[in-house]
Amino acid sequence: MGQHDKYDAIVAGAGHNGLTTACYLAKAGLKTLVVEKNDWIGGATVSRSLIDGWTYSNCSYVCSLLRREIVRDLELPRFGLQVIPYEGGASFTRDGNYFAYLSDHDALRREIARHNPRDVDAYARFSQTVIRQCRFIRPFLLRNAPDPTSMNPRDLSELLFLIKRAHGLGAKELGETLRFWTMSIGDFLDEHFETDLIKAHIAGSGIIGTGLGVYSPGTAYVLLHHYMGDVDGAIGAWGFARGGMGAISNALGAAFEEAGGTIIKGAGVERFIVKNGKVGGVTLENGDVYRAPIVASNMDVKRTFLKHVDRADLPGDFTKAVERFKIRGSSAKMNIALDRLPEFPAAPKGATFLRGDLHCSTSLNELERAYDDWKEGRWSSDPYFDMLIPSQIDPTMAPPGKHMMTVFVQYAPYDLAVDGVRSGQNWTDATRKALADCVLDKIAVACPDIRDRMVHAEVRTPWDIEQEVGLTEGNIFQGELTFDQLLFNRPVPGYAQYDTPIDGMYIVGSSTHPGGGVMAAPGANAAREILRKIGKGKSMPSFAA
Amino acid sequence: MAMSDNRYDAIVIGAGHNGLTAAATLAAAGKSVCVLERSDRIGGMSRSVDLGGATAPEIAHLLYNLNPTVVRDLGLGTKVPLVTKILPTVCLSPDRNHVLFAQGEATFANGAVHPDAAAFGLLHGRLTRFAALLGQMADGPPPALAGGVLDAGTLKEMAALGKLGWGLKRLGKTEMREFLRVILSNAYDLILDEISDGPLAGALAADAVRGAHAGPRSPGTVFSLMYRLGNGGEAHLPIGGMGAVAAAFETAARNRGVAIRTGVRIDHIIVAADRVQGVLLEDGTTIHADAILSSAGPAQTMQIAGVANFDIEAVRRVRNLRHKGTVAKINLLLDAAPVFPGLTREQTAGRLIVAPSATYVERAFNPAKYGEMSQDLVIEAVHPSLSDPSLTPPGLHLMSAVVSYAPFALTGGWTDAARAELLARTVRTLDIFAPGIGGSIRESQVLSPADIADLTGAPGGHWHHVEMGIDQILTVRPANLISRYAFGIGGLYLCGASAHPGGDVMGAAGRNAALQTLKDGVLGA
Repeated sequence: MGQHDKYDAIVAGAGHNGLTTACYLAKAGLKTLVVEKNDWIGGATVSRSLIDGWTYSNCSYVCSLLRREIVRDLELPRFGLQVIPYEGGASFTRDGNYFAYLSDHDALRREIARHNPRDVDAYARFSQTVIRQCRFIRPFLLRNAPDPTSMNPRDLSELLFLIKRAHGLGAKELGETLRFWTMSIGDFLDEHFETDLIKAHIAGSGIIGTGLGVYSPGTAYVLLHHYMGDVDGAIGAWGFARGGMGAISNALGAAFEEAGGTIIKGAGVERFIVKNGKVGGVTLENGDVYRAPIVASNMDVKRTFLKHVDRADLPGDFTKAVERFKIRGSSAKMNIALDRLPEFPAAPKGATFLRGDLHCSTSLNELERAYDDWKEGRWSSDPYFDMLIPSQIDPTMAPPGKHMMTVFVQYAPYDLAVDGVRSGQNWTDATRKALADCVLDKIAVACPDIRDRMVHAEVRTPWDIEQEVGLTEGNIFQGELTFDQLLFNRPVPGYAQYDTPIDGMYIVGSSTHPGGGVMAAPGANAAREILRKIGKGKSMPSFAA
Repeated sequence: MAMSDNRYDAIVIGAGHNGLTAAATLAAAGKSVCVLERSDRIGGMSRSVDLGGATAPEIAHLLYNLNPTVVRDLGLGTKVPLVTKILPTVCLSPDRNHVLFAQGEATFANGAVHPDAAAFGLLHGRLTRFAALLGQMADGPPPALAGGVLDAGTLKEMAALGKLGWGLKRLGKTEMREFLRVILSNAYDLILDEISDGPLAGALAADAVRGAHAGPRSPGTVFSLMYRLGNGGEAHLPIGGMGAVAAAFETAARNRGVAIRTGVRIDHIIVAADRVQGVLLEDGTTIHADAILSSAGPAQTMQIAGVANFDIEAVRRVRNLRHKGTVAKINLLLDAAPVFPGLTREQTAGRLIVAPSATYVERAFNPAKYGEMSQDLVIEAVHPSLSDPSLTPPGLHLMSAVVSYAPFALTGGWTDAARAELLARTVRTLDIFAPGIGGSIRESQVLSPADIADLTGAPGGHWHHVEMGIDQILTVRPANLISRYAFGIGGLYLCGASAHPGGDVMGAAGRNAALQTLKDGVLGA
């Protein structure tokens, strides 16, 4: 048990949010330490090489939400970050047809018309609404969520900003916004489109990563978490980070180190040291102790407070609220090394949409049934997946001529039910294989030769993601994106501005406003809050729109 | 009061409790009003039907949300007779260790202490307090967005909102935060965060979703639970049957001079210069009026008023309204007193809930999403004859059951075979708690949501006419820009369950719509 240097600030966890916070603290002149339990940095924003020659983005896999203000401010491109937009996507049907989501506007209109001419107009209305909602929400991402019960001038001014923005919408749009924020993605799409396949193609974005079904109210909002991003200013566009998602963390890590920060890998936090209601530092799993008056946890709120802080150091109400916070594992991940590009018999040769997100779900009911399975502790027998082959665009991901495929699978429970017992321990090699077989059978709808192309595959269940990354239940958002866990309720009412009941301790991960996705907004917002509290608020940009 | 047989100040379409309340409210302000009812009977969902000589509640069977202002205005139970009996709730358990609750106190039916009693009491108390705050909003139109959020309409409305805000503030910071956290949340998590899953949790979950196209895991079901608790939530059984409720509303309206015509079919609403002029009946009669208040659904109202008279956005919004009815009504005439092992006869007279767990309720909802009825049904059953023997011939008993989930759009349609299957499943479910009950059934009546739609005109056979989802309540009920009773054409108003605050035998929508009509001045001073 060694005593080490004293720091001004310690960040526990080197995920993209933790690193973002760390960057800003270091740039403000704080002597900052990041401690990470794994031997690599990145958390769920990571590139891993599990088989020679291939690189997997084995958790998060595409990039769009990363706030461009942060990318520019931290000069991430200088540290190697390059985001390459991809075009389009498609949903394949069992009868050999497909719906291609093409980025060229006219081509997309023709493709929609091929399925249903009436849906062409519907699409125009749909995208208008979504873009409008994105524009409405984007300015809030890099601001604090105001506490409506507070009379504090900062809360009042944030609240006023919200009211002003809402007022600016006018009566009609305000009504539509209220509806949009509270309705289900299924109902929203049913209001617009007639074609099941088109609805199914879009609906996935409303449920990815959540413990909700396409007909659960609130999922239309989740859609925004997939549309409000941009690549180089193109709102709604998605891209691949060259070299995998780890490129984002590596750039953040390099920026942090250039600013004078230190990263210790392979040493997770065992305990946050608290004395008299004040944080004093951290004790690592290896017994090392690091001291600092400011400690920020990038771990999710449950893991932070229920596993690494003594209960006695927390008010009972707070602990109860944390216990009640819902972080539900609902998705699995397959990363597959391919010996060459699989055949997509339904698609035209060389179709560019194959470089985008591919699916095999064909109706909203199919997606809803997939959710029903999950509620009972089973993986979906007819799962939804979001599948991409980034190596088509980024050749660094696989050896020449070979490819890498990432498959995000929904739904897979954290606590798998086997013989009536629900437990994460039920995820064994046998159940993992059964899940993989189920997914591969469905992938074969789009590419029948998928099994022949596989050189290696990694199957990651919510349980596995929790074990490796540390995310509770392997939930990608560090907490469900439901109304009761957004804005001033995220993660705990009264502690929605990155602060905690422990003096000097902060939470900076996606458990906080504005939530998950590789956005880095929570990390940046938290840094701003920390710096403000120590009188250095001016040392980072406010980003306030 | 009528100026002539065929000229009134206002016409009300539909003689359900909301239509009658609207009519009585207008008449109290000195207006001449005629209520037109398509069916031969008054009462809509709150009326009685004959079943083998017994007086059975045709559709609704309990009152728990009657609006106190409506009760006072109409003199229900004072000027007009209406007697009710409060029933405790009995959460049936397959192991016969049933749970009882009344006014937030839970015990086992055998008197033993329930382990979750304290937590349940706190949860119930909190929900009831929150619900009472929300309940205040039932007495007026929903907040306006006319000039954006900074314009809450008139001072009076501002005061109503202020009252809500003040009420919230008075709860204290912790409770206010809790309110803001749970208000849009789902019942399943809310309940199971506090008490363990079992019959008590199941009953609460079932209360949250009864009538809705939702399972307890659907966000928004805490709101629907609070809506139910808005007036305390105690279940009242009307003595004399539900027909007594219809009669009370009818008497209140007639005493004020309201004319009521039944068996009247409206061909269309006459519109000229963007204003309603009256209605043309199918028999060729014209009735003139300056205002028409419709307690029919928005789409039906739009149909008879002429879709072309509405702007295209309104048409689209109305077409997109969701009203997928999910409850069926089953009445059973029994030739013996029902026996539920584990319950005394007095307890058997309570409101019996078959929902052994919240998980069970969610599971029951799954098939409804795909047009199938639940395998294991969620049931709210009462035995009106145990409280009011006059309802049945001597020796016979009545069970009235609200059965979920039975989707309006059943795959294959609501054929006689489908109704028989639903009855069989209901009896099979009841048999778990009352063994042999199937053998004592002398007569039965099964109303699917499709039948309820036919009988009452309720869109989709839906309890609330329009689903009480969070995207279809308050300022966006029934739809955005159609939330304050006025419905497109000058002088046309919605006064039924589809308007704010929504359904249940409440009467608030009818009263609010009438007040709005008076305020708008379409009837003159």
